[in-house]
Amino acid sequence: MQCRPTHRVRRLICELVLAAVAITRFAPGLQAQANMSTQGFGYPTGQLSSRAAGSGGSIAEVDPLSPINPASLADLPSRTVFFQIEPEFRSVTTANGTDHTTTARYPVVFGAVPVGNRWVVSLGSSTLLDRTSTTTFTSTQPLSATESVDMTTKFEIDGAMNDVRLGAGWAPARWLRVGVGAHAIAGHNRVSVTQTFADTVAFSPFSQTRVLSFSGGAVSAGFELVSKLFTLGASARHGGTVRMSVEDTVLSHGDVPTRFGASLSYTGLANSFFSIRTSRDNWSSLGSLGEPGLRAVDAWDTSVGADVAGPHVFDRILFVRAGYRDRTLPFEASGNTVTEKSVTGGLGTTFANNRILTDVAVIRATRSANIAASEHAWSISLGFSVRP
Amino acid sequence: MLRKVAVLLAVATTTFAIAACSEKLDAGKSCPLLCPEQAISLVDTTIDAVFGDTTVLGLPPIGSETYLMLASHGDTVETRAIVRFDTLQQSFTAANNTDSTITKLDSAVLVLPIAKPDSAHRPSSPITIEVYDVDTAATDTVASILGSLFRPDRFLGSKTFAPESLLDTLRVPISPDSVLVRIDSGTHLRVGLRLVTPATQGYDLRIGTTNGGNSASLRLRPSSDTAVKPLVISPVSRTPANEPFLSGPLVDYTIVLVGQTTTPATELAVGGIPSRRSLLRFNIPSRIIDSTTVVRASLQLTQAPNRRVDPHDSVYVFPLAILATPAVSDPATLLRFVSSAGLVGLDSLRMAPADSGVRSFEIVGLVRTWRNQPQTVSPRALGLLSGAEAQLPAEIDFFSSRASAAVRPRLRITYVPQTSYGVP
Repeated sequence: MQCRPTHRVRRLICELVLAAVAITRFAPGLQAQANMSTQGFGYPTGQLSSRAAGSGGSIAEVDPLSPINPASLADLPSRTVFFQIEPEFRSVTTANGTDHTTTARYPVVFGAVPVGNRWVVSLGSSTLLDRTSTTTFTSTQPLSATESVDMTTKFEIDGAMNDVRLGAGWAPARWLRVGVGAHAIAGHNRVSVTQTFADTVAFSPFSQTRVLSFSGGAVSAGFELVSKLFTLGASARHGGTVRMSVEDTVLSHGDVPTRFGASLSYTGLANSFFSIRTSRDNWSSLGSLGEPGLRAVDAWDTSVGADVAGPHVFDRILFVRAGYRDRTLPFEASGNTVTEKSVTGGLGTTFANNRILTDVAVIRATRSANIAASEHAWSISLGFSVRP
Repeated sequence: MLRKVAVLLAVATTTFAIAACSEKLDAGKSCPLLCPEQAISLVDTTIDAVFGDTTVLGLPPIGSETYLMLASHGDTVETRAIVRFDTLQQSFTAANNTDSTITKLDSAVLVLPIAKPDSAHRPSSPITIEVYDVDTAATDTVASILGSLFRPDRFLGSKTFAPESLLDTLRVPISPDSVLVRIDSGTHLRVGLRLVTPATQGYDLRIGTTNGGNSASLRLRPSSDTAVKPLVISPVSRTPANEPFLSGPLVDYTIVLVGQTTTPATELAVGGIPSRRSLLRFNIPSRIIDSTTVVRASLQLTQAPNRRVDPHDSVYVFPLAILATPAVSDPATLLRFVSSAGLVGLDSLRMAPADSGVRSFEIVGLVRTWRNQPQTVSPRALGLLSGAEAQLPAEIDFFSSRASAAVRPRLRITYVPQTSYGVP
C-alpha cells in the first residue's frame, strides 16, 4: 500500500491511517532486544573505518579503509592490514528505569595488496548487523485458573551478520578509480534462552541454545573521480539471496539489502577533506528473513564532516576530524521507525615511519522513535593500519 | 604542552577502549516496551502416567537396617532384635601384663547404643529389655523359629529403665555363667532382645547396628581385680559359613513376630512392619518427554489414612531413582537398587500415617533424565520408601493405580513446548 494523494493534508491523513494499520497488522514480534538499536537482526555499524567514523561517515565512499566503495582501494599505496575495535557504551531509558550496557565490537578487519601498478586487491570482513545483547525480565505465567508461577527469562544473543568482501580497485588514470567487489554474507546469531522460576523446589530451570546461521551473496561496484579541488566517490551493492538456517534446515530467506551512496569531498586544502555523503539501504529486503511481524524499513544515511590536517605533534601530522550523521535504523521498535543522530570527532596520526596509522574516533549517538523510550550511546572507535 | 596532551589522550582512549572489551550486556528495564511477549509460555497437563505400581515387603533386606527396631504394641506389632557374637575371646590381659585364660566372669553386660527419644517420644512408664539366648541349629533367620526361643529356659537377663534414663546407651546385665560356658566351649553367643511394656502402652526403641556404625557390644569383666580392663566384644557373624556376603549383614538384625504382612492391591505403602517399599512405573507420551523441556513434574499421590501404629508420628517419604538396568524386572530387586536420597534433586515429603489428601512429590529432575533415553537404557520408574524404614513402625499408605479413578496416582507435568525462539 502506498499513499498517493497530492494534497498535503489528505496525504498526511492517509499516512497516519497506514501507520495505524501497519502497527496492528505487524504486531510486535518476538523481539528479545531491550533497546532500540539492535531490534530485528541487529544494529548496522555502518562498515565505517575509524577515520570515516570520526568524520561522521561523510568520507566513506572515498576512504579505502571503509569496505564500502571498492574503487577507493586503488588509493592504497602499499600492502595494508587494518583492524578496528569499537566498544559502545549504551544507555536506554524508559519509565521503568535506565539500562547501562557495554558492547565490544570489532566491526572491520581486512588486508589489501597492490597488484601491478594500478590494481589493489583486498579481502576483508565487516559487521553488517550486530545483534549482541542480553535481556532479562520477569513475568508471571498462569498455570491454571488458580495457580501461577513467577519466572525470570533471560535472552542472550551473541553474533552478527557479516559482510565478507573480496574487492579490487583499479586506477586507469590519475583522475579515475573504479572497483568491484564480491560479497559473501555470513555469520550467526547464537540465541540462548534461560527461564528460572521463583519456586525452585517444584520447578527446574529451562535453558536452550539455538544458532541461526546466515549465508548469502552480493556484488558491488564503484568509482572515484578525482580533481584538484573535489573528489566524488559513489558505489552500489546489489544484494542476492540470503538464507537463515538452523543446522541443516533453512528457516527463511530474503535478499541482501541493496545499497547505493555517494560522497563529495572538497580537497582544496592539502591532506584535508570536507565531505558530504548520502547513502540508501534497502533494508526491507531482509524483512522476509524474520517472523511475519518483523518490519524492516529502507533507510537514508546522510552525513557531513571534515578530515583536516592539523598541527604537527612529534613531527607528525595530526589529523583532526569532526562530523554529523543522521540516519534511519533498519528495524522498527514497537512498530515505530528508529532514527539515529550522531556527533563525531576524531584524531589520526602515523607512527613507525608512516608504517602504522592510528585513528581514534569518539561518537555520541542519540536514537529515538515515537515511543516513551530514549537511547544514547558513546562509542570509541580505534583503528590500526599496518603497512608491512 | 600539546605533546603531553596528545600522549595522555592517546593513553586514556586506548585504556578505555581495551577495558571495554569486557562486555556488560544485561538489560531488561525497557521490557515489555521494547521486548514484548518474550517469555516462553508453559503448558501444564495432568496425566495418568503411572502403571504397574506395586508394594514389596521385606525391604530393606534382613541385616541392612541402620537401626534395630525393638517394638512392642501388643497384638499390633511385635519385633525382636538379634545380635550375634560368634567370636568370644578366651583370654585376657591380667594386671601383671600377662595373658591369662578366662576362667571366670565377674560380670557380663550387653551395651546397647540407642537413638535418644525426644521428649514427645519417651515412654510414660518404665520399659524392660529382656535378653534371651537365641542360638539354634535350626534355620536361624526365620522369625517363627527365632520367636519360639524367647522362653524362660533361655532367659539371660533383663533390666527395667525409667523413661528419663533413655539417653544414649542402655546397659543390660546378662548371666555371666551362660557367657562363660560359651567361652569355655569355644562356641558363639547369640542374643535376642525383647521389649516389655505395660499392657496398655506400646513403645518402639531404636538400637544401633553395625550398618549404622554404632553397634551393640558385650562388656565382660574376667577378673574381680579392678585394675584389669574389661573386655569389650563386638558382634561378629560366621554363618552361613564361608559366605561372608551373606553372613556379614546378619551380625545384627530385626525379626517381626507380629505385623501387617500384606498391603491391599489398591494401595501402595512405605515403611511399616515389616518394612516395605513401593515401585511406580511411568508411561509418559513421547511428544512430551522427548519433544519438550519439562520444567515441573509432580507425582500426585492420594494418601490413605493408616491408624494402626503411631498414627501421628510423622516420617519422611522419599522418591528415589531406580538405578538397575531395565533387564531387571523383579520389583523386589529393582527396589534394592535405588539411588541415595537427593539424587537428581528428588525431594522428600514429611507426613504422618493418619494423614490424608493429595501429596505432591517433585520429580522433575528424574523425569528429565528420561528424555530421549529409550526404556531399554533408562527405566522410567521410581521407588518410594520411608526415611524411617525398619526403624519406626509408621506406615504411610497411598492409593494405587488399581484404586478408584479419583484417587489414583497422577503425574502433573509443566513443560516448555517446542518454540522457534530467536528469530526476530
